[in-house]
Amino acid sequence: MSEGIDVGSPDEIEEGTARVIEPEESGFDEPIAVFHTETGCFFALDDTCTHEEASLAEGWIEGDAVECPLHSSSFDLRTGRVLCLPATQSARTHKVEVTGGRVVLYPGVDAEDAARVSEQAAE
Amino acid sequence: MSASGPARQIVVVGGGVAAFSAISELRSRGFDGAITLLSPEGLPYDRPTLSKGYLLGTEDATKIRLAPEAWYAERSIELVPERAVALRPAEGAVELDGGRRLPADRVLLATGGVPRCLGVPGGEAAHTLRDLADSDALRRALAPGARVAVVGAGLIGAEVASAAVVLGAEATLIDPVDPPLVPAVGEALARRLHAMHAERGIRTIVGAPVGIEAHDGAAPGSAYSVRFADGSTVAADAVVAGIGILPDTALAEAAGLEAEGGVIVDDTGATSNPAVFAAGDTCRRRAGDGTLARRSEHWEAAVHSGQVAAAGMLGAEPPQFGAPWLWSDRHGVHVEAVGTLDERHAPGARTVLRMVDGVPQAAFLLAADGHLLGCSAVDLPLVVRAARRIIDRGIVPDPDALADPSADPRKLTR
Repeated sequence: MSEGIDVGSPDEIEEGTARVIEPEESGFDEPIAVFHTETGCFFALDDTCTHEEASLAEGWIEGDAVECPLHSSSFDLRTGRVLCLPATQSARTHKVEVTGGRVVLYPGVDAEDAARVSEQAAE
Repeated sequence: MSASGPARQIVVVGGGVAAFSAISELRSRGFDGAITLLSPEGLPYDRPTLSKGYLLGTEDATKIRLAPEAWYAERSIELVPERAVALRPAEGAVELDGGRRLPADRVLLATGGVPRCLGVPGGEAAHTLRDLADSDALRRALAPGARVAVVGAGLIGAEVASAAVVLGAEATLIDPVDPPLVPAVGEALARRLHAMHAERGIRTIVGAPVGIEAHDGAAPGSAYSVRFADGSTVAADAVVAGIGILPDTALAEAAGLEAEGGVIVDDTGATSNPAVFAAGDTCRRRAGDGTLARRSEHWEAAVHSGQVAAAGMLGAEPPQFGAPWLWSDRHGVHVEAVGTLDERHAPGARTVLRMVDGVPQAAFLLAADGHLLGCSAVDLPLVVRAARRIIDRGIVPDPDALADPSADPRKLTR
């Protein structure tokens, strides 16, 4: 799955918050959280915490990390890497880019892989 | 075993979250020596759920594992499902049940605790809750229509009573303190949370049993009478005691390590033997000024003490942590507290409440100088996370904003 979907204009997701893109909208099998950090960056992870049923979009977003609202596991928004217990599994990332004044999400496209590919292309 | 020279062979005794946190931290810090985890119950699992989702049957034994088997293999951690019976510090070894000796130059004791039993005649009949098998046995007892008397209405007792009514049992919750949990969440939320029991059909009794009488076969469906000092009784098919734990200090004491209501550790997690460390429910920290801290029995404290001990075993500076945090789930609500809500230790402090329709949603304990000492809340995760940052960063918050239900928690830290 490589086709991007338009999830709105950048200012529709307030900085420090996230929006959940449900499977009906994304065609992906899991809800995806699109995060807008206070530094103006966009990232996307699977919305459900890898530990228990909780929406990471409802968590505390600070710097490049989100802290789960239930048991406070933190995840790196860039890589999905789990930063502390109780979760031990990292979160799946999805590529997001802001293009033509729109936030475009690529469900199922690993953000880090996408970044590597674009770096190689730039070389 | 000798603390001279860097650690090369570490044996961790215990299979709870403190042990898991320690081994995870050892590898994160780049330790590439041998790690052996002595976990008699096998793969370490998370215990908080044993009185919550696991007890309700919404999570299974696989789901509650802290990590899958492959996680240990990937980190070259040897998992030995056996029990340690003795530390042999002079020989640099840990002795297993059966006599096998594992060489070790550092040992971490993360042996946890054993549930406190009801100290009344017949009290041994009460279920206690500490491990998977306990939770399985308790779930069988919480059958539809079964009458369950729960002694102790703190965190575990309240969660068990909550699970009991969800499973269709009739619960009676008994505690001498009314309401329980004031030191943990403050009086306002303690009252609200305790009142939820009665609202869910749980009978609450203020008191302490003086005896448990078993009626073996005499009266079907009435296996026990819980007796009180005034002669009154509560009939129950099962009795549960949720009245705390006793730290498991047996291995430490047999090895001559200092213990007093827990294995005494310093700021690096080291016991009185510098090659032996302790973490989790079993350890009790002695501060630099010599005072003994209260043992913390909360999940996060176990995680942090495991990380401290891991750093200590590697000779590194202990990591620093912010205000302590706890949670509880009962009657469909998520309760959290951060810092302290205990006014007894904060002269001049005042409590600010965030109320909605006359019901307290969050409580904040403010020091006389305006700094935040603690916050408790029901279903307000962002408020608690904001409060934690306010405490840790020494921010003096605006009390009106704390009390305002419409205030965006994300803006409280600015």
